[in-house]
Amino acid sequence: MTWIIAAPELYFLFTAAVFFTFAMISRPNAKRDYITALVLALPAVLVTLACVKLHGGFSQFYRVDLFSQIFKVLLAMGFFLIVCICLQLHGIREERHPEFYLLLSVCTLAMMVLVSSVDLLTIYVSLELSSYSLYILVALRKGNGHSLEGGIKYFLMGAAVSAIMLFGMALLYGACGETNVSAIANALSADIASPMLVIGLMLTLCGFFFKLAVFPFHFWAPGVYQGAANQVTAYIATATKAAAVALLLRFATVGAESVYLVHILVALAIASMTLGNLAAIGQKDLKRLLAYSTVAQAGYILIGILCMSESGFAAAIFYAAAYLMMNFICFVVVVKVGEQGGNVLVSGLAGLHRRSPLLAVSIMAGVFSLGGLPPTAGFTGKFLVFTAAMEKGYFYLVLIGMLNVLVSLYYYVLVVKAAYFLDPEEPLPAIELSFPTKLLLVAIVISLLVGGMYPDIFYGPALAAARALAG
Amino acid sequence: MNVSLATFPFLSATLLSCIVGLVTILLIPGRRKDLIRWVSACFSGISLVLSIYLFAAYDRTQGGLQFVEKITWVKSLGIQYFNAADGFDLPLILLTGIVHFTGVLSMWELERRVKEFFALYFVLVTGVFGFFMSMDLFFLFVWYDVSLFPMYPLIVIWGSTRKEYGGMKLFLYLLFGSALILPAMIYLFVQSGGVGFDIPSLIQPGTFSPFQQKFAFLFLYLGFGILAGVWPFHTWSPSGHVAAPTSVSMVHAGVLMKLGAFGVLRVAIFLCPLGWEYWAPWMAVLATIGIIYGVLVGLVQKDLKFVVAYSSVSHMGIVGLGLATVTAEGLSGAVFQMFAHGIMTALLFSSVGYFHDRTDTKSIPELGGMSRIMPVASTYFIVGALAGMGVPGFANFWAELTVILSSLRVYPISGVTAILALVVSALFMLRVVQQTFYGATNERFAKLPDVTPGLGVPRIILIATLLLFGFFPSLMLDLIHASVFPFMEGLPK
Repeated sequence: MTWIIAAPELYFLFTAAVFFTFAMISRPNAKRDYITALVLALPAVLVTLACVKLHGGFSQFYRVDLFSQIFKVLLAMGFFLIVCICLQLHGIREERHPEFYLLLSVCTLAMMVLVSSVDLLTIYVSLELSSYSLYILVALRKGNGHSLEGGIKYFLMGAAVSAIMLFGMALLYGACGETNVSAIANALSADIASPMLVIGLMLTLCGFFFKLAVFPFHFWAPGVYQGAANQVTAYIATATKAAAVALLLRFATVGAESVYLVHILVALAIASMTLGNLAAIGQKDLKRLLAYSTVAQAGYILIGILCMSESGFAAAIFYAAAYLMMNFICFVVVVKVGEQGGNVLVSGLAGLHRRSPLLAVSIMAGVFSLGGLPPTAGFTGKFLVFTAAMEKGYFYLVLIGMLNVLVSLYYYVLVVKAAYFLDPEEPLPAIELSFPTKLLLVAIVISLLVGGMYPDIFYGPALAAARALAG
Repeated sequence: MNVSLATFPFLSATLLSCIVGLVTILLIPGRRKDLIRWVSACFSGISLVLSIYLFAAYDRTQGGLQFVEKITWVKSLGIQYFNAADGFDLPLILLTGIVHFTGVLSMWELERRVKEFFALYFVLVTGVFGFFMSMDLFFLFVWYDVSLFPMYPLIVIWGSTRKEYGGMKLFLYLLFGSALILPAMIYLFVQSGGVGFDIPSLIQPGTFSPFQQKFAFLFLYLGFGILAGVWPFHTWSPSGHVAAPTSVSMVHAGVLMKLGAFGVLRVAIFLCPLGWEYWAPWMAVLATIGIIYGVLVGLVQKDLKFVVAYSSVSHMGIVGLGLATVTAEGLSGAVFQMFAHGIMTALLFSSVGYFHDRTDTKSIPELGGMSRIMPVASTYFIVGALAGMGVPGFANFWAELTVILSSLRVYPISGVTAILALVVSALFMLRVVQQTFYGATNERFAKLPDVTPGLGVPRIILIATLLLFGFFPSLMLDLIHASVFPFMEGLPK
């Protein structure tokens, strides 16, 4: 074992330490914190990229393989992207900025540990570490009643789900006397009919469903999305989802033999897609709309996972990566349009194409990708997920998925309509974007298109990661 | 990358003429409206010339797929950028070329957000061209969606008469169609066992079992049928047509609806011939209802655009009936009707659009005696209406005749009903012409100028096309036959 395999985690530990020091000893200085975070975030992506090919692990607890490393790249990217939009961190008091970056780094670190964890104990501990960072991040927003409410709601629900998950893990341990995921998988395939094992697995999965905001574990999402500072919401909506997908994939391999699990996943996927989309239609607040759209998107990702096949897992990984980008782009618009860190109504996008043509194009690309219109990565992601499901004979699931795509396009089009066809009641000033922000937006829009038009570039690594997971 | 080109890539060049046109328009500042118009006319002109070349250069004696272009795209899924054309595609590629060019000319007087309009219009047409020439299912679907999404902004920004409702309804209906098509396409791809998305490979007999063909055909037919305006899924079409601006109505009714009918032909019928034979009687029933329904509802309309829109539903029913006959003649007639109706309806919509732009009304009772106020503009509409009635001398006559003759053999009741409906439709078209152009003159419009020569050009091109193929139908029928007969002979008996 060499320490180099833990380089990404160690790097984030270092980042956290830097901000811990800032929080402890220095006076508030938003600009310094931002620049430090940015200077630390870019190498983080490079470090994780450099470590992609590494493999190894610590005894039976921690596995470093292509699967975990690809998710670490996504997490590092998520961290970098969020830091990029923190120049005007209006939602959070200046003296809290070091804590904000500290919690962000700790949470990313925890999720990195999470995606490599292959033991119930490490999984639980890292999941809790990331959750607690998020609970505080949500409540950090200044002078906003929604924030506190969101934070408390998130915490209480999270704690309850965490308890359920722990109970499930205890049952798993009780049933097979092992905490290692592979050992549990072996026990499950040998004794698939054991109710204790199956129930244990289901209860454990509840924790991950909660993270991914799958119905019916999604109730926190709209309130938390609405209450948290825009950047925090962006982080919850992107990076944490990638980690949740990784975890679900890891556990899906455990329960691959269980028909019950597949049936339950099918039901959850259908319910998530349908209810998420239907609830999103009536939303006026853009962040709440995106929260419900997250619930629906979780359903599409579940379709990939429930296929329990290499192509299904690869499709889910591809979709998670695409989702990170397309959702992020929507949140950049929320951050930029929301004056002084406030929330944005869908109608508040009126006249956006005049105020900032680039933001308007970006949100159009983002929501069309979320809606699955070609030639975006969202379309290809859905296509891959549906193809994997069809290979398993789930025609009805694909049909329901497509009908949901239709429903979702209705409200996504309303967002585009607001940006392009509505005029604000009173003229609003143009939104100035800094050069790096413009570059970032253009880069993400291009990657969405490249992901859609040349999916092999991303699908190849996703397939390799899925193979590593199975292996 | 595996690239295979038989000759100069004329098909891709046609697509590129639209894409380069689009990019050029995007690069021109919005205030340079005249430049944008000229650039649009120039690039649409290039695509027209290329589509005429393709139509003329196709070797009819040899038949089969020509102008083949193949590039491997996504290797892991067997997706290829695969363009080719045969006697089924070329009439529609030519149709798109003509309607695209005349559509740009018809919108010459547009003043509001000119740049955005032509940019979106070019995206739309790119999708349509791509759809008609693609031989890869995946690309076909992508082009299909590319052609759909610009419709919404085009209608909502530049349209009229309940435009938001019409735009959203159209968008959702057509996407509902694609929600049925995509699962069926993926189903066929998966069931083919790794053949890929390549249509010529997928049509090999034995690739799909009879059950699979019947199952997938239903979804494909319904999905594409929505876009083709098949009754009872046609309701998006009149409200969409009426809400859309002139050239969009032209492309919409002239070309976009053919995307649906062509999808039924190229995807559903080609890949699932057994499903086609199985469902054909039901297709005939729906088509016949569509023909009658379009005529009857058209009878009571007071809005000139609604009249044309409902007549479209009826005429597209004839295409459906031709496809449902499962005969070579029916298929030829259907393809010919797609072309002829596309040109004719583009002519009608462009004429109605002209009256609407000048008088700000489309109400038949309000318009009146127009032939005395705008004799030239009225002539264009009347010629279009005559073509729609199936008067000999126009392309529509041959198309309708071919379909009806074959349907009389296969489905006598449908054939007779269609004839009766066409007679009624002719009568009501005459009534509309009489009220609009020969009734009492509305004094409010007495001083309006007639159509300018510039705006007359697109209408004259459309009329000339109708007459050309009306007097020389073999120009079109020979081409269609070159593909229809080999296809029908290759069908499982």
